[in-house]
Amino acid sequence: MEKEIRGIQLPLSQTQKVRLKKALELLQSLSLKVNVDASVVVADTITVDHEDGVLKGHGTADLNGEVVATICGVVERVNKLVYVRALRSRYKPEVGDIVIGRVVEVAQKRWRLEINYCQDAVLMLSSMNMPDGVQRRRTAVDELNMRCIFEENDVVCAEVRGFQHDGLHLQARSRKYGKLTRGQLLTVSPYLVKRQKQHFHHLEEFGIDLILGCNGFIWVGEHIEATDDMVEDQVNQSDPQVLLPGKNSVSLEEQEKSYTTLETRKYICRAANAIRVLSTLGFNITLEIIKGIIDLSLSMNLDIHDMLGSEFCVLVAEKEAERRSSNKKKR
Amino acid sequence: MVGLSCGENHFIQGGIAQDLRCDGRKRLAYRPISVETGVIPQANGSARVRMGATDVIASVKCRLNFESQACCNLIKEKSRYILTAVQLQSQLLRSHSIGFRGRGGDELAAELSIALQRCLLGGKSGTAVVLMLVFFFSGAGINLSSLIVVERKICWDLYIDGLVVSSDGNLLDALGAAIKAALSNTGIPRVQVAAETSNNEQPEVDVSDEEFLQFDTAGIPVIVTLTKVGRHYIVDATSEEESQLSSAVSISANRQGNICGMTKRGGVGLDPSIILDMISAAKHVSDQVINKLDSEIASAEAEEES
Repeated sequence: MEKEIRGIQLPLSQTQKVRLKKALELLQSLSLKVNVDASVVVADTITVDHEDGVLKGHGTADLNGEVVATICGVVERVNKLVYVRALRSRYKPEVGDIVIGRVVEVAQKRWRLEINYCQDAVLMLSSMNMPDGVQRRRTAVDELNMRCIFEENDVVCAEVRGFQHDGLHLQARSRKYGKLTRGQLLTVSPYLVKRQKQHFHHLEEFGIDLILGCNGFIWVGEHIEATDDMVEDQVNQSDPQVLLPGKNSVSLEEQEKSYTTLETRKYICRAANAIRVLSTLGFNITLEIIKGIIDLSLSMNLDIHDMLGSEFCVLVAEKEAERRSSNKKKR
Repeated sequence: MVGLSCGENHFIQGGIAQDLRCDGRKRLAYRPISVETGVIPQANGSARVRMGATDVIASVKCRLNFESQACCNLIKEKSRYILTAVQLQSQLLRSHSIGFRGRGGDELAAELSIALQRCLLGGKSGTAVVLMLVFFFSGAGINLSSLIVVERKICWDLYIDGLVVSSDGNLLDALGAAIKAALSNTGIPRVQVAAETSNNEQPEVDVSDEEFLQFDTAGIPVIVTLTKVGRHYIVDATSEEESQLSSAVSISANRQGNICGMTKRGGVGLDPSIILDMISAAKHVSDQVINKLDSEIASAEAEEES
């Protein structure tokens, strides 16, 4: 029952397998025209003009005077540089990427975040806006109060600032960055999230926030206005003092009142399941596709958990093939 | 296992309170279970069960035991002598995921193997069915007499091994289902015993490679774990939901609706009325699970034959 089509692990019936194969073949044929010459496999020779001195970049090697690929991927040429870019590789941060990370350590004047990269990223205290909004030097008291801002295991959204001598640095100087609460974090393969103009999406009709981190962490949550809500806690504090991190012992009833409403929660779960389906099928994750899937499931009146079933996955694949072919025809 | 932030925990608890969990399931809904049998050809029976991202493999190996005198326990039950010819050793090998490295993996493995052993075999005294908070034997599992070759001399030993390939919560249920599937896939070789041997000699046995006897596994119970988070309890928790648990009760029930075993873990105490509530919920859920599991096992076996 578990047959793998293109590495997809789903229990599919015979007809579903046929339909899925057809949809995937259609998608493949649509994209094949683009880069047939450029894709290489290990030990393929890369055609290079030897008279112009050529710089051999990542993923290439010199074998008997020939430039040979050492990984499977697509050949890219930039002036004299020739390199092979792998299609499914670890996340490679670039300056300006929006990433979502989880705090693993609170260190001296910085937080270390895990961002699905080969090292942990560093978020300096000075790269964060202070809760009271004032631009000032960070004092020792600020350093002692770091836990009030972010604690261990908190989910934080930030932007890549650059590579410094001690690692990857992030910054969170805008109101839209910061701690993420009231939602769920999903993990997908990083190559499914391509760099786009906008990574913060607010779906008004559902009332949810969607943040597509370039590192493969995707946040789906209730919509929260980007206000400095930390200001309210501190507005009465005139003197700087060391604050104890708030482990409020809230009673069960108060907690229950503050839960996300059922309506919003349904949309959050639908969006999360849509992303899970895309991740299973290995399709790129963009806002347009997610919205399409949510609308499809709503129009079919599908139960939220059934979105993870094989029938819906096959439908999504077919719809995606249809959408791409119609896009091609328009051009 | 990765920790979760307060916001995420709050979200999960809210979902459970409102009967809409993170992946859209209701509180008492299971993830889709998929079963594959015969995954280990060298074993007498094996099965692989997937529940969401949880993936476990169980295998059953049989071995002839000639020293029945040493291992037999005479249990009198309704004036019939049953030789417990089964030695169940479910050893959980360490999985490779991060949460199980170091001591944590060994402790978890020991806990799971004890729980499974008690669920299927139980303690030595199989008589009174007292509902203690311990996994417990009621003889409802395997029909032990089918494992006897020669009374008081030769019997089959069953070695059941479980392996967790990847864990996303709810390991005990998955292992129970895998063992049930593996046992229904098990073929015990037919043994011909040379007749006319004196009592003290070892009889000659001829183990057939062709003919196999199948177990009757209709009576094997299925384990249902109910995890209490806040005021409500859920079935088939993912590892994120399990990190929130205040207590968890695992109940094994069989097709007749009888409770074969029960165990509780988690530090928070439970009111007895809640436990009774959980038992009735578990019975209700286990009916559906048993049906689903049986149909999955049947289709997996059919697929394997084809």
